[in-house]
Amino acid sequence: MNFVHLYSRNTNCSEIILLQEIVKDGFHRDLLIKVKLGTSIENSPTCSVLIKHHLPTGLYVDPYELASLQEHNVTEAMIIQNTVDLEAPEYLSKEFDVFVYAKSDSQCSECFKTFLPVHCRYHQPEEKEQRAFVMVKNPELFVRCYNDFPSLNCWKQSDVEAPCSMKNKHLCKWSSVKYQSVNQNVILQVPVGLKVHHFLVCVVTMLVTILCSGLIFRAVLKHSHFSL
Amino acid sequence: MKVRPLVGFWGGPAAVFGVALAARVALIFYGLYQDRTLVVKFTDIDYRVFTDGARLVMEGRSPYRRATYRYTPLLAWLLTPNISLSELFGKFLFVSCDLLTGFLMFRLLLLTGLSPSRACGYSSWWLLNPLPLVVSSRGNAESLIAALVLTALYLLERRNVVWAALVYGLAVHMKVYPVTYLLPIALYLQTASGELEKDRSKSRVWGLARRLWNRDVLLFGVVAGLTFFTLGLVFYYRYGWEFLEHTYLYHLTRRDIRHNFSPYFYMLYLTAESKWSFSLGLAAFLPQLLLLVVVSFAYYRDLAFCCFLHTAIFVSFNKVCTSQYFLWYLCLLPLVMPQMRMSWKRAILLLGLWFMGQALWLAPAYFLEFQGKNTFLLIWLAGLLFLFINCYILIQIISHYQLGKLAKKIKSQ
Repeated sequence: MNFVHLYSRNTNCSEIILLQEIVKDGFHRDLLIKVKLGTSIENSPTCSVLIKHHLPTGLYVDPYELASLQEHNVTEAMIIQNTVDLEAPEYLSKEFDVFVYAKSDSQCSECFKTFLPVHCRYHQPEEKEQRAFVMVKNPELFVRCYNDFPSLNCWKQSDVEAPCSMKNKHLCKWSSVKYQSVNQNVILQVPVGLKVHHFLVCVVTMLVTILCSGLIFRAVLKHSHFSL
Repeated sequence: MKVRPLVGFWGGPAAVFGVALAARVALIFYGLYQDRTLVVKFTDIDYRVFTDGARLVMEGRSPYRRATYRYTPLLAWLLTPNISLSELFGKFLFVSCDLLTGFLMFRLLLLTGLSPSRACGYSSWWLLNPLPLVVSSRGNAESLIAALVLTALYLLERRNVVWAALVYGLAVHMKVYPVTYLLPIALYLQTASGELEKDRSKSRVWGLARRLWNRDVLLFGVVAGLTFFTLGLVFYYRYGWEFLEHTYLYHLTRRDIRHNFSPYFYMLYLTAESKWSFSLGLAAFLPQLLLLVVVSFAYYRDLAFCCFLHTAIFVSFNKVCTSQYFLWYLCLLPLVMPQMRMSWKRAILLLGLWFMGQALWLAPAYFLEFQGKNTFLLIWLAGLLFLFINCYILIQIISHYQLGKLAKKIKSQ
């Protein structure tokens, strides 16, 4: 994967590059983020990266799955919502935020990655389209560096307070930074029922269930000592 | 079906129970290992929910603070040793209930006059069956209900009406489905028609009403009702509306439109937000209801068979059906088997058909869920086919069933 290094006209700092992608098919997907914090770093300071996903109504995360993944050090994610309804359909759900603490990516220096397993909700049936589309916006990116890091000043948009890490719940000062994204918003497809089937499905279902109950009814009357 | 007394060869009931216990305990410890090492856990998510609920009640709070806790608070209270002693307590409790269920089956079969080795042979269909084995070791509470239902049936068989009613009321409090057994039980407890003075009245319905108006039926109704409402009131007083909403209303009005074995799944998904949704739901309920009433009047003399048919029909025609529900009638199957005059070949064919029906559903479901293919129509058709298969199996069971010794024994009482 090639990162194109863009240089801002005014100052000598390279842009942060962010790549968001969704892997896997079906109702269970993985949301991956790869971040590269510029290359003009002489004495590479240690920075931490925090991603804030704003999940659309069509997606949800399973808090218990996340807790389990955290135990196994696969991913560290925090949901900003008390409860997540795992069964609700898309049209009855709300958007919510998920914070994910990035890990270092061994692929390149100053690279970070995050992994978040997401699940698709059931969507309203469509008239003819076999799929519904869910758009995942680009996340917000927060950076915190331990040493003084001049580039941070050109990236920085605002300061925000958030927990330092999953283990350390004290609030640290994080800087919200702008970045260049490789893809504009990611879109994923979710299969949906077709309204066109509505009439056929209702009629056939009711016929079959009535037929089956009739057959059992007949068998009971035939083989039992039916009496009041 | 005749079961040759193979069991006599290898130590009889003690051996079977021993193996059943050992297998369950082994699985519990294996589950502990898998939970610690793999990301995919062996323990069911429900068990985590129960444990979290138990933790909340120990802190004096409501278990309904825990999302998806949709059970009676009694379960959380029962599992408080999960927090104070060990998290494995609940699993051992469920495994014990499993074995108790097997034991009660064994005793019930002995009461029908079967020899111990044959009774044990039939009970081993539950005790050595992988499905309840895995379900209990994973931490599902289904075996608790199975044990309660079988206890109630056993006590009714011994005509111990008050205790049976207490246990039954408790069972209904914990899970709503045994409420359908009320009609068969009432009919079972009615006065035998020979005992009343010659009924000159024209109406059979009036005759039935008179036979139902007896000490046992009233006692059962009152005690079961009192048990259920007392428990309900106590928990309503303690936990408020949330208790009613999560324990009962959620299950009764559940509109889980995600794919499941039910034949109604696709119909309900497509009509979820339309004005037809309520009337269709009701229409789906009517065949179920009618069948349950007919079956009650036809088979109440053999209570175990009647309850088995009740639950099998209820599950097959329900608006939501997951594999967990199969245990509800599986625990009654060993009681039914001795009375079935069916060849081994036919039985295996039916079993194979049942598994095939599930496999045919699981295939398109896999493609939908994990590959993102639009297989809704196929899943719907597979659901209808599974209903057909279930009905065929039920009809085969009904037509090969001999209201034998059990019914004759009751009639002579």
